[in-house]
Amino acid sequence: MYKITLEHIMHSYEDKEVLQDFSFSFEQGKRTCLLGPSGCGKTTVLRLVAGLEKPAKGVIKISETVVSENGAILIPPHQRKIGFVFQDLALWPHFTVYDNIAFGLKENKEKNVKGKVAELLDLFGISDKAPKYPHQLSGGQKQMVAIARSLAMQPEILLMDEPLANIDAHLKERILQHMKDIQRQQQFTMLYVTHDQKEAMNTGDYIVVMNAGKIEAAGSKEEISHSSSRFVRSFIKT
Amino acid sequence: MDRTIGKNIIRFVSFLLLFLLLALPIMLLLLQWLTAGEDTVLLSIINRENLLLIGKSLLMSGIVALLATLTGTICAFLLYKFQFPFSGFYKLTLLLPLLISPYIFAVAWKDGFFWLLGNTAAIYSEAGVILVHTIVFFPLAMLITGSALSQIHAGYEEAGLMTVSFRKMMIKIILPLIRPALTISFLLSLIFSLSDFSVPAFFCVRTFTTEIFTQFSALYNFPLAIGQSVILLLICLLFMLSEARYLSDAPFFSVSVKGSVSKKYHAGNRKIMLHSFLWMLLVSSLLMPALMLTVQSLTGRTMFFAQAWELIRPAAFQSVKLAFAGACIITIIGLWTAYGKERRNHKLPDLLLLLTFIVPSTVLGIALIRHYNLPAVNFIYGTSLILLIAYLGKFGFIASRIIGNGIKQIPVSFEEAASVAGIPSKKIFLKISLPLLIPSLFTAFVLSFILCLGELGATMMVYPPGMELMQVKTFAISANAPQALTSSMTLINLGVTVFLILLLFVFGKWIFKKFQYV
Repeated sequence: MYKITLEHIMHSYEDKEVLQDFSFSFEQGKRTCLLGPSGCGKTTVLRLVAGLEKPAKGVIKISETVVSENGAILIPPHQRKIGFVFQDLALWPHFTVYDNIAFGLKENKEKNVKGKVAELLDLFGISDKAPKYPHQLSGGQKQMVAIARSLAMQPEILLMDEPLANIDAHLKERILQHMKDIQRQQQFTMLYVTHDQKEAMNTGDYIVVMNAGKIEAAGSKEEISHSSSRFVRSFIKT
Repeated sequence: MDRTIGKNIIRFVSFLLLFLLLALPIMLLLLQWLTAGEDTVLLSIINRENLLLIGKSLLMSGIVALLATLTGTICAFLLYKFQFPFSGFYKLTLLLPLLISPYIFAVAWKDGFFWLLGNTAAIYSEAGVILVHTIVFFPLAMLITGSALSQIHAGYEEAGLMTVSFRKMMIKIILPLIRPALTISFLLSLIFSLSDFSVPAFFCVRTFTTEIFTQFSALYNFPLAIGQSVILLLICLLFMLSEARYLSDAPFFSVSVKGSVSKKYHAGNRKIMLHSFLWMLLVSSLLMPALMLTVQSLTGRTMFFAQAWELIRPAAFQSVKLAFAGACIITIIGLWTAYGKERRNHKLPDLLLLLTFIVPSTVLGIALIRHYNLPAVNFIYGTSLILLIAYLGKFGFIASRIIGNGIKQIPVSFEEAASVAGIPSKKIFLKISLPLLIPSLFTAFVLSFILCLGELGATMMVYPPGMELMQVKTFAISANAPQALTSSMTLINLGVTVFLILLLFVFGKWIFKKFQYV
């Protein structure tokens, strides 16, 4: 179980400042939701934790090890023991479902690749889809494959960037419940980005509400519901 | 850290090699001109005669650019905005003139005038050059504008249609959105027409480009030829710099995996009008020239055709081999420069290819001859290597842009997902990016191959002694041989080109079916 700490992070894209002196510690083994309007810097936090972006300033620690510091990536993404579910899912279109999940395992020379993939396919109820290509799947099935792939390397941290943005409410609820069960069982640290306050309340043990690159409020669902911040109250209401 | 230094060294050495091979000859040409004696100083070249010649060449190219952009834009609107049967057929066939060497059309139209009017005086004129250049370059405008049109999101048009009429929406919304494409079409047609040597030379029309060739190859007045080359180079660079931002991202062929997002309209009862216009264009740009060549070649003169085949056969194989090698090199370098630009933000190699792409063929030829005609580098000057360098300079940028457009279509998250899963970057490139780029790589290869096969301007200047090439042989023989023999050789040349295009098209259909992931 890994704890993630961000200290005084500054980050910008070209001239636009996205994160301003952002500091926070994400609890190990818990589900934390990053909630906020579009462009507030939620995805950037996730990408910084993953090591896909370098922080212009500040320090990022995973389990007390400094992984990124002041414009440098000290530990590359694949050595951080993370899984990432991208907003566009990023399923490789030329690989089958089986290959999408097995690719990382094979390349990292893991043992019993077939068994591990079969276990994951079974866990998400998509065993019959193994030989299919991504374009042959429905939206919900694609989400399942993307999540299964992110769990293949048995990560200590799972980062999810609005992975359920484009599916219906009923299916969304089912997948979320499934994810929560898996997280409880495997006890990895989970960071979940969304702009949907209902989804955040339904998913997270903790909620971090962001606005314009800063944290407006952070705490349990109850604490967020009773926040004194005007922005948080108006955002939660909408 | 060591790995980063190693990568940087490889990157630097590759760029240096590209610079030494391609850009240095052009820069040395400029330097030589600036530092040489009295005869080559700017003032002695900018005299009344030269200025008039430049003015005439610019005027002719301007008219060609205007006509080609207008015709190409109309075609693009019809083919990319309207739904009607056989639109795919028109898109493909109307593109062919761009892939066929311009002098083939010059020979065909000369035959046509002789056949129809009994003499060729009318075509041996500035108007003849404008006609042939317009036919050859309008598909370029069609391609660029069509690509821009298919990238306009349907929502923009539908939102416009809520408030104004279709005609007004086209003028007020679509036209401003495709302005960069129109500008680039105009600019490229202008530069290509200005730098083409073959058509004005064939029609005996004196232009700035033919003058450079004459001074260099016939009169051996190297200082004057170099001075004139520099002026032409500066004119082209000036045009390029005026729109460099758009030009470096010009779409050319866009091998889309996402499909068009633009709105298409039903042709309805305008179908007949559309077909008539497109058939008229097809007949005048492709079918009539082919027919004219066939008639002139075969009517009662089959012996000329047999003689032409004997003459051209060895050269044809040589040309195909050389074009194949050229296309392979261009595709590999294009992939390297495009990947560097799109994924690593290394823009210099791509910019270098843009520079050599803009340089007129004859000027590039002179620059390469001056640079490589030294004993130390005779292994380049005296072999087909010099031709391969010239082809890379001429067509590397087009390949780079086609592949670059392909890379843009692959979401960065595909590579990031692999990176998070612990896949090394070399493997990410080989197993994720490369398979997804196969359609773009194939398109870049085919286009480079066909363009290398028909390239004449630079080839005429730099081809090594003893080497026989199809396009050079056909062009060179046209000065002294009977008209029917020239026509026969041109027809064979055209036949070989069209046959290879069709062959690659069939193979391409299989490639796209297998490797295009929706």
